[in-house]
Amino acid sequence: MSATASTIAGSPVISVRDAGIRFRRNRRGRRNFKDLFAGSSRRSRPGEFWPLRNVTFDVRPGEAIGVVGRNGQGKSTLLKLVAEVILPDEGTVRVGAGVAPLIEITGGFVNDLTVRDNVYLTAGLHGMTRADIDARFDEIIEFAEIADFVDTPYKHLSSGMKVRIAFSVISRLEEPVMLVDEVLAVGDRAFREKCYRRIEELLAGGRTLFFVSHNEKDLRRFCTRGLYLDKGALVLDGPIADVLAAYNADYPPKQK
Amino acid sequence: MVGSAGAVQRSNASRYRHALWLLTTRDLKVRYSTSALGYLWSILDPLVMSGIYWFVFTQVFSRDVGTEPYIVFLLCGLLPWMWFTGAASDSTRAFLAEAKLIRSTKIPRTIWVFRLIASKGFEFVASIPVLAAFALVTGATLTPWVLLWPLAFVIQAILLMGVGLIVAPLVVFFRDLERAVKLVLRFLFYASPIVYASADLPEGFHFWAAFNPLSGIFGLYRAAFFPEQLDSFYVGVSAAMSLVLLGIGLVIFRRSIRAVLKEI
Repeated sequence: MSATASTIAGSPVISVRDAGIRFRRNRRGRRNFKDLFAGSSRRSRPGEFWPLRNVTFDVRPGEAIGVVGRNGQGKSTLLKLVAEVILPDEGTVRVGAGVAPLIEITGGFVNDLTVRDNVYLTAGLHGMTRADIDARFDEIIEFAEIADFVDTPYKHLSSGMKVRIAFSVISRLEEPVMLVDEVLAVGDRAFREKCYRRIEELLAGGRTLFFVSHNEKDLRRFCTRGLYLDKGALVLDGPIADVLAAYNADYPPKQK
Repeated sequence: MVGSAGAVQRSNASRYRHALWLLTTRDLKVRYSTSALGYLWSILDPLVMSGIYWFVFTQVFSRDVGTEPYIVFLLCGLLPWMWFTGAASDSTRAFLAEAKLIRSTKIPRTIWVFRLIASKGFEFVASIPVLAAFALVTGATLTPWVLLWPLAFVIQAILLMGVGLIVAPLVVFFRDLERAVKLVLRFLFYASPIVYASADLPEGFHFWAAFNPLSGIFGLYRAAFFPEQLDSFYVGVSAAMSLVLLGIGLVIFRRSIRAVLKEI
């Protein structure tokens, strides 16, 4: 029963209009009160730059989008804008459905609490009810393969286990939109493959995927449409094969 | 198959409350699961402090401030003060301490401040039995004015929300504020009617003391045992000041949150 997908089918689930965000080049730069509260029009300072500007696109439910670009061209910034953990200085970012952000996935976990407490905390913060979590708890633990450590304080887990439980929780959120930033670079190959299968499962279930990666193989595997970011602008929005071709033409891959 | 429409359909207000509750209980859980004494710590601090003040002001100096029984008088001010100072100084780290979580979770950002006020508020409530115990032992008489406690609680919560919303975002840009706040709090301890009553102040200060919002709030708490401590002028000014601070806080918070999220 794809309740969330069907109610908004047709209309875009993510709608980005002329979005731009401004950062200061040197983080230790001077700040004054006026700068903090002045309207954006009155502030144009030389030390500022726009990692993203004039970005416009729509995403329809069920689409799988890969974001392509070199380091520092605004990919992660775009992902964070869509996750609404940062806000645009220009334009709008509208996300019409719940989001499961696989960004800094271990960020919400508390070292001193047990795995069980952490699962309830993180899933709850992302909007799951207690009853939902109760129903999925065993599934989450089983996926992460840490059944023996449910009542162990989180800090005693190995780093691989930490990532596994975090991925397991976020990927069970049942939100219609999934954001994936290269989190899966960690963990052993078997678990990574398991994560990828999980993502495919979710895609088959009608989820919308927003995927940032440098790995061409992964991009082709999951995505149908690509966004190519360069120098803070959206250069190309099209089928993933075209986007990768354009990217490779601009920045030819090194011979291996 | 996407399923779980329940999670989607829940209203914003209930999601807000749920997230606030989760983060508040998380703090308490961490505190109580990592220390052997747990709850005792949240009452030990005010107990030791009131022991010291009781000794200094009743045994060393001949006291002419406050009211008998002095220990009850002290605790009526000291316990809510612990809430105030704890939440205000914690709010300097509201964003910095949770940067990783804030960068990955989208919940209404005021929660990062309000959860601190809530968890310190719980500790305050948990410390009330200490006051009750001392009142019993010393034979202080409880008056019907104790019914004003919820009002005092609400005004103090509003005041703390205002202070927190102002302090939390500004500290992100001006780290010096963290230490400045600690200094101001130390000053405020003596500038507020905790070891003394507002009426003990020299004549010239009476009017101005009203503009410390804590004067009215502590007066309300104290009225439970010492009805003469209630001053409606003080209460009115402190309620008004708290609301004004909350208004200022909301404006500052709204206008700076964009920059805060980029900075952390």
